[in-house]
Amino acid sequence: MLQLDIAGESMTLLAERALWWPAQSTLLIADAHFGKGVTFRARGVAVPSGTSDDTLDRLAALLDRTGASRVVFLGDLLHAREARQPALMATLAGLHAPAVEWVLVRGNHDAHAGVPAELGLTVVDEPWVLAPFALCHHPDTRTGHYVLAGHVHPALRVEAGGDRLRLPCFAFGPDVGLLPAFGSFTGHMTLAPDAGMRCFVVAADRVLEVPHASARRRGRA
Amino acid sequence: MSGSDDSPGDLPNIPPETPPTDASDMHTRADIRRIVASSSLGRQLRAARAKKQREQAEPVPARPTRRARRAGGVLPDVGALQARIDGLYAARGWCVFDFQRTVWAHLQQGRSGLLHAGTGSGKTLAVWLGALLRAAARPAPGLRVLWITPMRALAADTALTLGESARALGLDWDVGLRTGDTGAAERARQARALPQALVTTPESLTLLLSHDTAREQLGALCAVVVDEWHELIANKRGVQTQLALARLRQWNPALPVWGLSATLGNPDHAMQVLCGPGGERVAGEMVRPVKLDSLIPAHTERFPWAGHLGVKLLDAVLTELDASPSTLLFTNTRSQAELWYQALLAARPDWAGLIALHHGSLSRDVREWVEAGLKNGTLRAVVCTSSLDLGVDFLPVERVLQLGSPKGVARLMQRAGRSGHAPGRTPHATCVPGHGLELIDSAAARRAVAAGRIEPRHSPEAPVDVLVQHLVTLALAGGFDADALKAEIRTTHAYRALDDRTWDWAMDFVTRGGASLAAYPDYCKVERDGDGRHRVPRADIARRHRMQIGTITADSAVDVRWARGGKSGGKSGGNNAGQTIGASGVAALAGGRLGQVEESFIGRLKPGDCFLFAGRVLELVAVRDMQALVRAGNAARGTVPRWAGGRMPLSSELAQEIRALIALAARGEYPEPEMQALRPLLDLQRAWSALPRADELLIEVVQSREGHHAFFYPFSGRPVHAGLAALLAGRISRSRPITFSLSFNDYGFELLSATPINWAQEIAAGLLSGDALATDIEHCLNAAQLARRRFREVARVAGLTFQGYPGQGKSARQLQVSSELLFDVFSRHDPDNLLLQQAKQEALHDELDAERIADTLAAMRAARHCITRPPSMTPFAFPLLVARLRERLSSEQLSDRVARMVALLEKAAGT
Repeated sequence: MLQLDIAGESMTLLAERALWWPAQSTLLIADAHFGKGVTFRARGVAVPSGTSDDTLDRLAALLDRTGASRVVFLGDLLHAREARQPALMATLAGLHAPAVEWVLVRGNHDAHAGVPAELGLTVVDEPWVLAPFALCHHPDTRTGHYVLAGHVHPALRVEAGGDRLRLPCFAFGPDVGLLPAFGSFTGHMTLAPDAGMRCFVVAADRVLEVPHASARRRGRA
Repeated sequence: MSGSDDSPGDLPNIPPETPPTDASDMHTRADIRRIVASSSLGRQLRAARAKKQREQAEPVPARPTRRARRAGGVLPDVGALQARIDGLYAARGWCVFDFQRTVWAHLQQGRSGLLHAGTGSGKTLAVWLGALLRAAARPAPGLRVLWITPMRALAADTALTLGESARALGLDWDVGLRTGDTGAAERARQARALPQALVTTPESLTLLLSHDTAREQLGALCAVVVDEWHELIANKRGVQTQLALARLRQWNPALPVWGLSATLGNPDHAMQVLCGPGGERVAGEMVRPVKLDSLIPAHTERFPWAGHLGVKLLDAVLTELDASPSTLLFTNTRSQAELWYQALLAARPDWAGLIALHHGSLSRDVREWVEAGLKNGTLRAVVCTSSLDLGVDFLPVERVLQLGSPKGVARLMQRAGRSGHAPGRTPHATCVPGHGLELIDSAAARRAVAAGRIEPRHSPEAPVDVLVQHLVTLALAGGFDADALKAEIRTTHAYRALDDRTWDWAMDFVTRGGASLAAYPDYCKVERDGDGRHRVPRADIARRHRMQIGTITADSAVDVRWARGGKSGGKSGGNNAGQTIGASGVAALAGGRLGQVEESFIGRLKPGDCFLFAGRVLELVAVRDMQALVRAGNAARGTVPRWAGGRMPLSSELAQEIRALIALAARGEYPEPEMQALRPLLDLQRAWSALPRADELLIEVVQSREGHHAFFYPFSGRPVHAGLAALLAGRISRSRPITFSLSFNDYGFELLSATPINWAQEIAAGLLSGDALATDIEHCLNAAQLARRRFREVARVAGLTFQGYPGQGKSARQLQVSSELLFDVFSRHDPDNLLLQQAKQEALHDELDAERIADTLAAMRAARHCITRPPSMTPFAFPLLVARLRERLSSEQLSDRVARMVALLEKAAGT
């Protein structure tokens, strides 16, 4: 957990790879990709099951811990149409307490996967403005609002003292902030951040800010 | 998304620590762009285009595959054919070698075997004419002779050669070609009726077997030839070949199979793997003398200690090129080939068009143009990689230069054998060292050749990924009966000891996705039909699988194409290639194809970055649909792609010779000219540290700003050093939280830590102990994550990761996943998965070579430990320091580890 002022709002960066906005009692989650394993299996690729359970457990724990009254999914809630498998949908719906508002900002995967009605989601198109933020899936700048988005599954390469690791991260630039992918079965894209971007890596149960110096690009012969 | 960490596969950069390059190098780089504009690659492409147009204008009758009518396939009887063969030999003034007669006799009697001899000794005719004689005795319609060759480039030449001799004998036979390059029209024609002889690759053969017409097409074979078997035996394509042969033998138990092979350390094993028990081993009789020497720098004391571009020797190389009408320059990696090509052009701009570049990433048209130029002698030098190790002989080539360490005895002999085919010539190979220590490699290679110590090659043991792939392949081919197929697969060498547990697991994997019934309820790949046969029920799975079959060896590859209309300042330099070579029309912007490059390399670039490829500087415009769109770059220099070719380790045969030479130097003996030349470097090593004698283990301890370094020199080859480094680091990290950075090369390994280690004390406490070695190796292996890297190939072969293809739909994109992510998911949710086990096994056996680790460790224990504290990095240490082939091994908590790194970074940033 780590407190950070973003666009004047006090936000909490959670090691579960989610962003918590206490003032609005809102939990922000990007790129959960529920049912990705199911999708692979249904198309003949034998990926083990259990990945969605893992993501579900983390979501349940977060809802419990924060007591959030609103959850905003920043796109890519389900991986594909095949992910709409009854057991998974039932479990996910079971996590949705009636008093809690669930909002989905439509992402590229959601367009293909569709959104089952039983999840009780309010589906909106980006940008969904919740001042001072524009909540989006794609990290494009929006005039007048600070954008919080997903889509890129950001990761950062940390390098120091002869050691090196690649870790999922939060990244906040002057106009756009990126959330790490929430799903357990998701890949990452390594960022090459510039000086105007603050990066926070998720290392097991901690969130740590990484100074800019380490983010230099490697591998240029 | 896969963005793997630095692996030993990565090439060493030229690091800032390298002794500074002189002014002429700077000049070289500045000149690159100007010269690229007029580079011979442009001419290569134009010539290729012209050739293509000529071919389209007037179909070349010499190509049997382009004839509209299928030959009748009727052969004269055996006696008449033998008479024609004798007549052909007499007409051409050849004499029949004894070994050829032997092979003819064996084939006529239906016996299988292995024929091994050097290149250019008449191996091809021995088996081809033998196969014809056999076919003549057993007249039948359809495909009679199947010729399997490891390389597509070789297949076309072989088909021509076989077709020519068939015509010279007046036979009414077609020799067809079936590879990944075969066009749709020819495929369709072959689907109607196959030629009498077919030249193909293991992948294409497996693809033929995936159709339910396979038995009809391949059931009447009377002989199978596997060319260059030594290239296949030790890898998974060889296993694919074994499985395909097992299928062919099911239909035709008496089918004779002949392997052709270069000189190998273990020909009997090679034969048994291919032919089963009872094969006939035939040795070619021509032993050609080979001349091996080195280009020795005039001033070794100013010679770089590390790095990989021996530009210091550029002048000497140019002198050698001047002295020979046609030279092949072999490099170990494609990036070295690109760099040398640039350097040669910069030094001799007038050679543009006379020198060329040849490697596996270039498009076929370019490669064919280069090969034609070598055959007719119009090219005076070609910089190439192992892409020209094999193939037809280029008569004009007089000389071979090996740039960088030869790395293996057999490889150097093979490469040397590409020269000196003209009458009265002998093969002549000269090693050009990239840095000082590589001189030892050349001397060692010559001594190993003289002593006849050549590397053996072994078949892999029961790889599960290939098995899984094969099951799906045969499920496509009209389905299979499980018990019958199990028996069939057990007839292969690789799976002779396949146990029921593995078999059942593989069957479960393809039918249910895994061993646990409940685990994969949504899975669907292979289904058991009502009649008890296993089939693939869905067309999209079938299509994906067939796409997958050809990818056993390929790293995920991206097409490099011109961005249409995007060549900035493209006024010259063969840029019209964009409109000519296979215009795709797939993606909106894609133009002509330049070749392929590993996805992992492109993944590190962002649009606007420049890189060297196909002899020119390219700027990345965009990456889409597995295509990298590029335009001519403006940068004076570009990144060189880090191709997988860098993964070439020193063979243990060569390593032993090197160790012996160093031990001799320690006694003051310098038996080879290379060792004489290296004396100043070796003296420095002795003065700052030591030269280890035969019974000594040298350990150097040095402190630097990076931390505390310890360098060990067992001289056992890189795979063993990788394992030993992980093992030692693992043993120490068990006793306390510590993070090591590991580096290794063919001579030794380095352990770098933030805190100092008392090595004498650690060794006394059992650091080199042989106790619990297997467990320790396995433990350290997990930590070092070698298996995770191995899993990349395993997952691809088993069909878990899907290499996209141009024009794929959205649905395929949703199946893209990195093997690293899969590895994590499997490790967590399905740890008993045999594919995971196999990745670990491969890492243990192939990458680490656990047996040799044990042997080396025992030798290290027994040796006298010579721990020195040199004042600075020694000549031995330097290459390790700059190698950048780093692994990490840590026993710290992840969060602590990151917190420590963050603290270091903050300190460095002064915040």
